[in-house]
Parts: sequence; C-alpha cells; structure tokens
Amino acid sequence: MNRRTFIAQAGGALAGAALTSFAADWPPRKPDVLLEIAPLALEIARGRVVHTVAYNGRVPGPLIRWPEGKPIVIDVFNRTSVPEIVHWHGLEIPSEMDGAAEEGSPMIPPGTQFRYAFTPRPAGFRWYHTHSFAGHDLKRGGYTGQFGCFFIEFKSDAGAYDQEVFLALHDWNAYLVAGSDSSMEPGYGYSTIDDRMLGFGDPLKVREGQRILLHLLNASAGLIHWLALAGHELTVVAMDGNPVSTPSPVPAIRVGPAERIDVIVTMNRPGVWILGETRDAMRKAGMGIVVEYANQQSKPRWIDPPEMSWDYRHFAKPQATIREPDQIIPLRFESKFHGPGAVASWTINGKSFPNTDTILLREGQRCRLQMINRSGDDHPLHLHRHTFEVTSFNSQPLAGVNKDVVIVPARTTAEVDFMANNPGATLFHCHNQIHMDFGFMTLFRYA
Amino acid sequence: MLTDEFKVREPRINIVSVYPMLIVFLIWVGNARAQDNYEIQVYPSATMAPKTLLIELHSNFTVEGTTTAQFGMLPTEHQAHETIELTQGINDWSEVGFYIFTAAKSGNGIDWVGDHIRPRVRIPPRWHWPVGVSLSSEFGYARPAFSNPTWSWQFMPIVDQSIGRWYWSINGTMVWNIHVVPPPAGFTPEEKQVYYRDVAPPGLTFGPAATLTYAPSKYYNIGIEYYSYYGQWGNFVSLHNQQQQFFPVVNLFISPKWEINFGAGWGATAGTDHLIVKGIVGRYFDWSHHRAGSSKSAQ
Repeated sequence: MNRRTFIAQAGGALAGAALTSFAADWPPRKPDVLLEIAPLALEIARGRVVHTVAYNGRVPGPLIRWPEGKPIVIDVFNRTSVPEIVHWHGLEIPSEMDGAAEEGSPMIPPGTQFRYAFTPRPAGFRWYHTHSFAGHDLKRGGYTGQFGCFFIEFKSDAGAYDQEVFLALHDWNAYLVAGSDSSMEPGYGYSTIDDRMLGFGDPLKVREGQRILLHLLNASAGLIHWLALAGHELTVVAMDGNPVSTPSPVPAIRVGPAERIDVIVTMNRPGVWILGETRDAMRKAGMGIVVEYANQQSKPRWIDPPEMSWDYRHFAKPQATIREPDQIIPLRFESKFHGPGAVASWTINGKSFPNTDTILLREGQRCRLQMINRSGDDHPLHLHRHTFEVTSFNSQPLAGVNKDVVIVPARTTAEVDFMANNPGATLFHCHNQIHMDFGFMTLFRYA
Repeated sequence: MLTDEFKVREPRINIVSVYPMLIVFLIWVGNARAQDNYEIQVYPSATMAPKTLLIELHSNFTVEGTTTAQFGMLPTEHQAHETIELTQGINDWSEVGFYIFTAAKSGNGIDWVGDHIRPRVRIPPRWHWPVGVSLSSEFGYARPAFSNPTWSWQFMPIVDQSIGRWYWSINGTMVWNIHVVPPPAGFTPEEKQVYYRDVAPPGLTFGPAATLTYAPSKYYNIGIEYYSYYGQWGNFVSLHNQQQQFFPVVNLFISPKWEINFGAGWGATAGTDHLIVKGIVGRYFDWSHHRAGSSKSAQ
C-alpha cells in the first residue's frame, strides 16, 4: 500500500460520513466562503500559459480574512475529474476538518461539494491548499495553483504599518530531472509571485516613508526560496504567522515550502526596485515583482544582497531557556534509492508511509520531536493542527520561535517542542510534495 | 575477412607473395588508423553545471595491441596514455571541454600527443524531452606518430535515458578527417586506394559508442561500454578491419565531488587492440564559492 491507495481507501470509507455530516446541516447555513476547484489556463507572462487547477479561477485563491475565534463555514465545490481536498494549514482545528485524508478528513469526489465548518485559531498568517496525492503526475497536488492565504485576525492589532500586502511564491511546469541525491526530483520551468512572472504583473506601489507589511508565503511544491527587496532591509516580525521574539532586520529571507514569513519594510529609498529571488537563475525564471515608489519611473533595479545563511536563532529569545519535555520522539529521515531514473522513496525510522509506526501522544504533555535528517536534502517538516517551538537548530538550542513548518538542513538534527493539546489524528510530513507522496510522512494519534 | 572490394580480387591469390606489406596492412588496418584510446568514455547528455569545472585524468594502458610500427605510427602494445580533460560548465545547457593527450612507453619517455577543444550543447531538461539529447563538436590536432588523421573535427550526437536503475547512452561519433598522413612512398595505386579507404579516409568516418549500466546502489553502478570504428561514411570497412571493443566497467559515486570509472576492454576484431585497461578519476570544482544553502547557492 502506498499513499495513493491509502487515501483512496480512506476517502471511500469517509465519503459516507461526510455526506451524513452534510445532511445533518440541513437546512444549510449560508457559507461564509465559497471555493470552487476547477481547471484554469493561467497566463503568467505574455503568451506563456500554464494549464493548472485553481480556486475560484484565480491564483492564489481568494484571501480569507477572518477574526480569531469566530466560526466559519466554507463550501468547496470540486469541478475537476479527480477527488480533491483542502487543507487548512496552521489552523488548530479537528482532524476531520483539517483537510488531510490520512487524518480522517474526507476526499471530495469529482462533481460534488463538501462543507468545512470550524473555528479558526490561532491568529496569524495561515493558508490553505490541496492535500491530494500527485505521485508521478506533476500536474496535480501541490504542483497546481490550489493555494490561498488565510489570515486570522488578532484580537488586538497594533497595526504598526501603512500598507499590508500578501504575496505567494510558486513554481510551475514541474518535470522530473536528475537530482542532487542521484535520484529523480522535480525541476520547474517557471516561477511566479502570485500569478505573474517578474516583469509581467502590476507593480507593487508604495510611497516614500511608508512601512509595508509583507505577508510572504512559499506555496511551491518543493523549492526553498530566498527573497530580497533590492536596496532595502526586511525586518522579520513573524514566522508561520506567529510573532517572533526578536524582530530582526536581514538583507534577505529564506522561506521553504509551506513556510510564511511576515516582514516590515521601511520604504526609504525611492526608485523602482525588484523584490525577487536572490539567485539569478530563479529571478530569470520569473520569481520576482516590481516595487515602484510613487512618482518614480525607471527600469526596475536589482542589487545583490550580501550572501547570507539562514538561522532561526536570529529571531529567537536572546537566552534559550527550554522546558524539558515529557516525551521525546526520535524521527530519523532517510531516502531509499531506486535508481538514477527513478524517484527515491523516503522513510521515517526506517519505514515509508503508510507503513510507518503510529506515534502515540498523551494529551497535556509537552512532546519533543527530535528530527534527524540523514539525507543530503533540506526538508521542510510540517506538523498538522499544532504549533511548535523550535528548540534546537543545527544542534544549537533556541527558544521563542513558534512555527508549524521547520526546515531541517541536510545531515543535521533539529528539535521542536509542542503541547499535545488538540486530540485527534495528526499528520507529520515533509512539505516537499514528491517526498510526502513517496513515503515521507507519519501519523500521530492521541492515547 | 576481406571487404567486397578485395573479394573480387581473390583469384589473384599470389597477391600474398607479391605484396607482403599489404598483408600486414590488412591485418593491422584497424589499429593503424587513429586509435581513440586516449579518452575512452561514453558521454551522457547532461552538461556540466555553470561555474563548475571538472578535471579528469584518463589513464589507459594497452595490454595487448600492435607490436610493430604501422605507417609511421608507434606500436600500441604496452603504451600508456594519460589524458587530462578539463570541462567547464557555461550555463544550464552548454559546456566546453579541453584535452591534453599524452602517451608513454617504456624507453620512449612521455610524449605530448595533441590537444582538442570540445564545446557541447544539450536540450535543456525544461523542454521535457523523453530522452536526453546533446551535440558535441570536438576539434583539434594530434601528432602523426600517434594519430592519423592529425587534424580532425568530431561531431557527436548523444542520446541517453535513465529508466529506474538502468541507464543507457548512445554516442553517434562522426569524425571529419581534415588532414590525414599521406601513405608511405612507394605504395601502388591499389595500396593507396586501400590506405585511403581503410586506414586514413580523408572524409567523414563513423564510429558509434554506447553504454548500458545498472545501479544497485546510489554509490556505484556496473555496466558495459561499447566503442567502435566502422570506417568512412557509405564505405564501411569489413567487420574484420573494424574496431569493436567492449568494456565491462564500474562507476563509483563515493562523493559529489569525485567521479571514478574503471574497466577493461576486449577487442572483438582483428582490427582492435585486444586488451586495454582504463581508469578515469575526476574532481569537481565549484567556482561559485557559495556555501551550501546560502542566499546565492543553487543548492
């Protein structure tokens, strides 16, 4: 059994339960949000069209902005020919509403609809995206345009900014190519911020002296991106929607698949600039957007930021005081080679999903995931339905950085702690689509 | 086995006694032409990554080859060839290679043989072709004591594919012999005709190579490499005089910075050196000087 067959069986078993749930909600309450999943021909640059699947005919899908703690009803219509599902990433909601078939959320069969109803929390920058299996079909799952931003408003927002902008990074037209680890990995033809390649969308218009809050989401199926705004510093104020302990200015940010970073930029250098990937090849592939000051008209300029490495500790508490966990869960990540012309499979503690050992959590306990990455790749690891604190990165302790995705660099160990306070099946996986499809996930259950 | 051209002359059996030199010529005709055993390698379609230099040392030793000088070329038996190959990646679809060929034989010292330059382009993977395709163009000079022709221009389409643990590549090697060494003085018109057909054809020649490997592990693969020389386009020499060589090989991938290949080649025809052992050691150098995972690193 692989992830595809697991999802198919889970989807079949759960479809009845879903319909029952839908019937119980009669007469139906008017939904707060409607999402329609349908094919889309998206022109990302003049004459360059990608054929994908998206929400409500746009990429990214509509921004959902909702007060924390207020129940929401979202109806999702599946107008495609394959089962789909929507995952509410970073939200601490019940398993059956989380949007992962592995946890018990139902797949939405083609031509049908499903109602998600939950109370969004915690506040901050979350997002939603498909959680379907793609496997070798690089036109499905996370390779498509099925993603959107979900902002859960804080009860009290200081609002120390003049303009707020949501931007989503994505890579398109995936194809299999020889990877760094001797196996096939997806390469990508084009990159966009939102739905346009650099130079083909509307510029982001700003005024001198403004403080701009950028909510940046990496919705790529598998690529880690670096972003910089030429000539400006980015002050990181939140990661994965959670305010950081030490907001710090950096010349560039590194954002892995599914990570979100909120930055404040003080617009103090009038001109026309590029907010883009720091690596030339990625920018040429389209990853960038023009930032234009009022009354400035010139060719967009790029200035290379100084080369830098990324470390979550820049934004952590100055002194790492970490509470000892009640439970330590070692998780060892390795790849299994199947040939230079094949996709590697992935294991957690020697087993690929769905054959991985289910890990038992006890409610109320503080659990530590000790993630030992024995592979040559950096992996963005995501824990569903919980927020964790990064307590060790590159074998150095840290505190005060709360996230739901952490990049574990190649051949290193990272640790995260979380409170087991949201009973139900909980998925843990690499957010690189091809890795999760080929075994890199496991399920936690509450005892 | 004789070519068709010689078969029609078989009634002139006394040719053997009249032209002993021609008999030697026929036996060694394949070996007497330019041996491509300075750099014994089947190319993949992939090109070197930008800002990356690969330095390779090709070491080949002919255990069993020609034992007498042929048409001014030194005997190959017990000759060691050391070739340095430098390959620099230009962008994600092109590279340029440069060769320094040398030969050594006990008592003869080390000789510079020649140099070639080899630009190569490929179909970028983002074009989603089902197979890898590239085109190599190699131009250069080699001294007549070691090679005939001396000046040559090689065109080589390359097609390859990985399927699971298997990998195959075909190199359709075509060489335009720009300058060939003239035949020895005193050759009859008939001998000259054979010389220019079988030893040193002045036009385009064909000699494909191929490999098939199987990778039990990501750290090594085993396989077979095939090298050949068929002769002039449209006028191939007889199988007897062709070069047909098979190398069982092992490729090691013990580190991303190193490549190692070794094997032993068996010549299947009289026209081929009968046994060659070869080894390639390569080291990759990243000129970008970016730290892995940094804001400028491609990794």
